[in-house]
Order: sequence, then C-alpha cells, then structure tokens
Amino acid sequence: MAMLEVQNISKSFGGLRAMSDVSLNIEKGEIVSVIGPNGAGKTTLFNLITGVYTPDTGDIKFEGKSIAGKKPNQIVDIGIARTFQNLRLFMNLTILENVLVSQHHKLNSNWLSAVLRTPGYRAQEKAMREYAVEKLAFFGPRLQSFRLHQPVYVLSYANRRRTEMARAMATGAKLLLLDEPSAGMNPKETREITQIIRRMRDQGGYTILLVEHKMNLVGEISDRVVVLDYGQKIAEGSYQDVVNDPKVIEAYLGKKAEDSEETEVQKAAKMDGRTI
Amino acid sequence: MAVSSRLDQNPQIVERTKTLAFQQNRGRNLLLTLGAGLVFILLLWFFTGLGSAKLTQALALFAIWGVATVSLNLINGTLGILSLGHHGFMLIGGYTTALLILPDDARQRILDSGRSAMTETTVGLSISNLFNAIGLGGLTGDDTLWLRFLLALFAGGLMAALAGLIVGIPSLRLRGDYLAIVTFGFGEIIRLSASTRIFAPLTNGALGFAGVPSDFGKSVWWTFGILAFTLFIISKLKYSSYGRAMESIREDEIASEAMGVNLAYHKVLGFVISAFFAGVAGGLWVSWLGNARLDNFLFTLTFFFLVAISAGGTGSITGVLLGTALVIFVRQYGDPLEETYAISRWLEFIGIILIIAGAAFLLYRSFNRSGKRLPDWSVWLFTANLVILLLGSPVFPAINLGKIGLYIFLIPFLVLPFLPNVGDKSKGVGWIVYALLGIGVITLLIGGISPGAGWLTGTFRGFGMRGIALAILLIVIMIFRPAGIVGRHEFSWGWLFRERLDQPTDEERKQDAWLSNPELNRAGGAAAVDTEEDA
Repeated sequence: MAMLEVQNISKSFGGLRAMSDVSLNIEKGEIVSVIGPNGAGKTTLFNLITGVYTPDTGDIKFEGKSIAGKKPNQIVDIGIARTFQNLRLFMNLTILENVLVSQHHKLNSNWLSAVLRTPGYRAQEKAMREYAVEKLAFFGPRLQSFRLHQPVYVLSYANRRRTEMARAMATGAKLLLLDEPSAGMNPKETREITQIIRRMRDQGGYTILLVEHKMNLVGEISDRVVVLDYGQKIAEGSYQDVVNDPKVIEAYLGKKAEDSEETEVQKAAKMDGRTI
Repeated sequence: MAVSSRLDQNPQIVERTKTLAFQQNRGRNLLLTLGAGLVFILLLWFFTGLGSAKLTQALALFAIWGVATVSLNLINGTLGILSLGHHGFMLIGGYTTALLILPDDARQRILDSGRSAMTETTVGLSISNLFNAIGLGGLTGDDTLWLRFLLALFAGGLMAALAGLIVGIPSLRLRGDYLAIVTFGFGEIIRLSASTRIFAPLTNGALGFAGVPSDFGKSVWWTFGILAFTLFIISKLKYSSYGRAMESIREDEIASEAMGVNLAYHKVLGFVISAFFAGVAGGLWVSWLGNARLDNFLFTLTFFFLVAISAGGTGSITGVLLGTALVIFVRQYGDPLEETYAISRWLEFIGIILIIAGAAFLLYRSFNRSGKRLPDWSVWLFTANLVILLLGSPVFPAINLGKIGLYIFLIPFLVLPFLPNVGDKSKGVGWIVYALLGIGVITLLIGGISPGAGWLTGTFRGFGMRGIALAILLIVIMIFRPAGIVGRHEFSWGWLFRERLDQPTDEERKQDAWLSNPELNRAGGAAAVDTEEDA
C-alpha cells in the first residue's frame, strides 16, 4: 500500500478546471517531484493534499485512510506537513519559537497546566526544545546557537527557507510537501539544499513530495517525477524518461508551428513509430 | 567535497545550541522577580503612607485598568484580533459583582424605591444569602466581606468569560476590520440590553446600583494583588506553548493552521481568558466607583484601553502597563489643565512645552544620527529637567519652584543646540529645532515678562484640555514610535543585564563568514579547519 494515494481528484474554481482527474501514488521513503509550467496546478495539488481545498471529486488517502475534507490542522496531526512557495513564517517570532509552534499540536497538557507549568508540561516543553534542536541540526551550523533567538525577519532569504523546512519537519509529519525549496537560492545554496533533502529522507526517514522548477535539483534527487499541465497529469516516471517525453517537451516549449503545417504525415508516422 | 563540509557541525557550537535552546538563569530570575516585588510592595507602602487620597485612588485605578488592558492585549496583541467589546465584558463582570456584594441597606433602598424594576428574588441574589442557605451563616459578617468580594469577582469573571465564549465564535469566520465591527456590536448590545425590561430585574435598569462597597476597588493592596495575579496568569500563558500558538495566529493564520494549530480552539480560548479578566476588572471598577451605572461602561472605556495599548506597545505586557500609566496620569492628574488661568500663564505654559519639544527634537536627531551628535550627559540633563518641571508644575503643588526657578531650569535646553560640534560638521541642528526653541522663547517672554499688556490680562478656561493633551501625546508617540513606546519588546532580567542570546560569539562570526564564502575566508577559524580535516 502506498503511503499517499491520490485517486482521480478534480477541483474547479468557478469555470476554471484547476485539477482534473489526477492520480498519484507515493511510496514510503520516496522522493517524488512534481513539475510543470506555471499555472499547471502544482500548488493546487499541494493545497488539495493539505486540506486548504477540498477536492470536488476523487479521494486522497494517507496510509489507507481518507483525508479528503479534513482541516489543515487535522491533516498535520495525521502526518502531512508542508512548506509554502512564498514563505509563510511567523516573522516576529524567533527561529526556535517557529519550530516550537509546529510541535504545539502534539502537546498533551491543557492550557491551565501550561500556565501553571506542571511537571508534565515542563517535561514536554523540554522534549519539544530538544526535538527542535534536533531538526534544526539537519541544516548544518546555519540555524544553530545564537540564531535560535533571532526573529525570522532578520534572517537571510535562504535561512528563512531552511527555517520553514525545519518547522515542517518538527510537526512530526511522515510526509513532507516542499513547495519550491530552492526558490531564490544561488547555485551553491541549491546544491546544499539538494543534499539536505536527501538527508531528510535518508537520516530523518521522511517521505518527500516536492514542487520544483530547478531541473538539476529535480534530476539529482527525484526517484520519480510527475508532470502536470493544465491540471492534468501528462507524464510520470524517472527523470530521464520524463524529460524526453514529447508531451512534456511540448508542454514546456510548445509545438513548432511550421513543423505541424509541413509534415503532418511525417509527424504522425513518427508518433506511430514511437508508440509501436 | 566542499559542499558536504558546509553542513558539518562544529562540536562547540552544537554544545552552545543545546544550552541556548533552554531557558537561562531561572533561579536568578525568580529571585530577582521576588526581590523586585518586595521593593514594589515597600514603594506602595510608602506611597499609601503619604496619606494622599488622590494618589491612592490613582494607583488603584492604574491597577484596575491595568487588569483590563493586559487582558485586552491578550486578544489584540497576542492573538492579533482587534476587539472593541471589552467594555461589554467589564459591564457583565461589574454588574455581577455589584449585585452579589451589595449591602443590605442598599438592597432595601432599591426595594423601597417605586421606580426600581427589581423583584424580591433578584434583590435577594447575594453571596450572603447563598452562605445563609448552605449553612455558612458565620461568613456573612462585615469582617468576611473580602471573601464574598473575591467570590463575587470570580463569579463576575465567569459570567464575562461566558460572554467571551459567545463573542469568540464569530471570530472563527471573520477577520480583521469585519471582526472588529462584530466585537464592537457585541459590546454595545451588552450595554444597551442591560437596561431593557428583560435584564432590568438583574441590573436595576438605568438606575443601577448605588452603595457598592469601595473598600476593595480603592485599596491599593487588593487591586495590585489582583493585577499581580492577572500578570502572572497572562504572562505565563504568553510564554507557554499556548501563547506561542496564539502569536503564530497573529503572525500568519494560514501558516499557523498548516502547522497544526487549531485556530478555533485557540481564538476562543483567548477570548474566554481575556473576557474573564475583563469581568474581574469590571468588578474592581464598580467597587472603585462605588456604584454600578451604565454610563460608566461606555465605549470610551475600551477606547482608552486601546489608547494605552497602542501607546505602550501592542503585544507587550510591559508596554501595555506603561501605556496604562500614561493614560491614568493624564486622566487623574490632568485636571490642572482644565482650570481657568490668565492668558499670560497659558503662554508661559505653551512656551515651556515648545522649548521641551525643541530639546526633545534635538536629542532625537542626535540619536538618529541625522543631526549634531550630543554628548551622553545631555540625555540625563533632559530627563532631570523634565522631572523638575513636572514636580514644579501644578500637578504637585507641594513642591513649588516659583516662576524664576522654573525658568532657570529651561536654560540648559537653550544652550544644547549651540554646544561645540562633536560629530559630523556638515550636519546642522535642523530648522525645526531652532523654530521650536525660538517660538518657545518668544512665547515664554511675552507670557512671563509683559503680563500687564492689553489682551494678556484676560483669562482662559482650558475646558477639555486634558483630552487634547492626551491626543497630542499620542500623536507624538505614533509619529516617532509607531509600534508604541516599547514596541513588541518585553522587560526581562536578561535584557536588564544585557544578555544578548541572539549575538554570535567570535568563533560563530568566523564560522558564518566561512559559510558564506569558504574560498575567501579559508583561514576562518576552528570550523573551517575541522571540516577540511574531515574532507
């Protein structure tokens, strides 16, 4: 049984069909990338999985149980956490506080025992802080020591991205959805983040679904690549297969106008030859 | 393998991380807090010992409004929801407390009055009667009034919390301005429906309750005790996991929900706790006033709380208390401003204010490094002058410095802009400073030296001047510190001792430089060397 099963989901916003009949399976321990041109529905897919939107038709199952129609915070409880394309950090809180907030849903004390600092609450608070440090350690020395107490608004863009990933990891989720983890990073930082994502899978035991535009990152770490275009899945497979798929090339680069006019027959033959 | 080494950890820094992730110096902070509390108690004891009823009342009112503003700040500052219905919660708490502890003679007067809407049953609603009914008749004497008052306060808080629960529910669907309007509506509904026929048997309609015991509301010890309790609960809540979750809602609701925070639960929790303390503040307020009347619970009450919160610093308990002190000071000690004085006296006053404003501008520009840099002692001089002027003002008539005395203390302000240039020579003092000081001196001279001349002999009554003074103060604060006096910052012992947890050590600085560019910062300290060996 796959960890996440997306079964024929569709979603429309008014007349716009943002997602139509998309299916997708993710096995435990996989790194799957979702690629596609702008507006293809990648972020919509994330929003559907994390409960921001409810699918019009179809079902989403996580470890065999349906999660469609659940609220975002319930889905975090179940074990899926995400990052955002445009960074949604708690800007006036410190890095440590950001990473502690995402563990709050696991807290077993009511508000009164938290106010009175009962031994039970204290122990949990300590455990939460240890867990936060453990998750921040995935990002090397960058989010350590004095940075724990820096408010997020003073951080560099790359460090903010790292903090957001650490925050999602600290929720205790098994499946992480990373929305463009390397956006706005320079090549060096992108290489580093590639390595971190691999570490998250190998050492952290997370399963990862990511949306990414940087093809070298996708090619380097993905076990499987899913291509979306206009809300439909047009290809799925290994990176090499997918990038050579004519449908994918068409989606990214478009058709040659003169080609289609001059050699209709030739092209048909070509397509036939390939399918046979 | 340059890339992999950049992710490697320096064991020393890992150690430091482990200590920094946990609270520091807890024992020391606890001792310091207790010590400061003791000093504060001594100060209160000294102030009440002065025997000034006005001062005691002002202090008690500060504590009562402090409870209200600190609780409103839980919704406005921590949860980030603009709530305008606090006067409604206070009304519920106030009326509940008043009804439950009203003395028997006051009840008898209500019954005797022909205009009262109250019935025998509702007049009989009191904690004394409850004690009699459950066989605790021994606790109904005057010497145990405090116990009944505390119980009544608690009951008032609970009733208000119930209202908070109801008001909290729309907050699940609405955001921002829309929610503010709804909370305002709820506050007004509570106030207006209190005098309707449905609730009049409980509230005595427009007549309200007279003769509420003011032994507690006017007692510095009770009010500050309850303020301390409020501060304890709300600050502990703020620094707990629940408080962080609430702050995350303020920062970004969508992200907060995506990180597993149950928005509905935390918003309603915030409303309920805040409303509880608003109800307690309402009970103290009623006791301070000595009566419960609907026109003591107008929207202006919430408005003053909001002023205190924004002036002090939204979200900061320290700031909110500072803001409350400011509002209470103007409210309780602003009355000399509203009296009738000779026009020459007003001119002197305006002149002094202008000179102070000019000096403040000078210091501000100096701190901003946009003007002449002043020596450090000028700040102390400025503060000392403010204190002397304040003490010499009509606010404290006991210390009368006399006119000449006041003028002498203004001279240093006039000398400040002409001090030898310490900083950048190209930067001047700024026309606004010269303008303020110049106009100030001219006004002062006209008012002080030639009071006999023609139109200067008249008098002027500063009606409403107190409100104007508060408004001007607020404008100045908002221009120069839009986030309030202290912003989001909170007082802590660590801050007092300059413990900067967010500053790197030298080694961390080297490592940071190395991380940002290993090629350029090759010999960048232990971190670099360690990792190269690894590679």
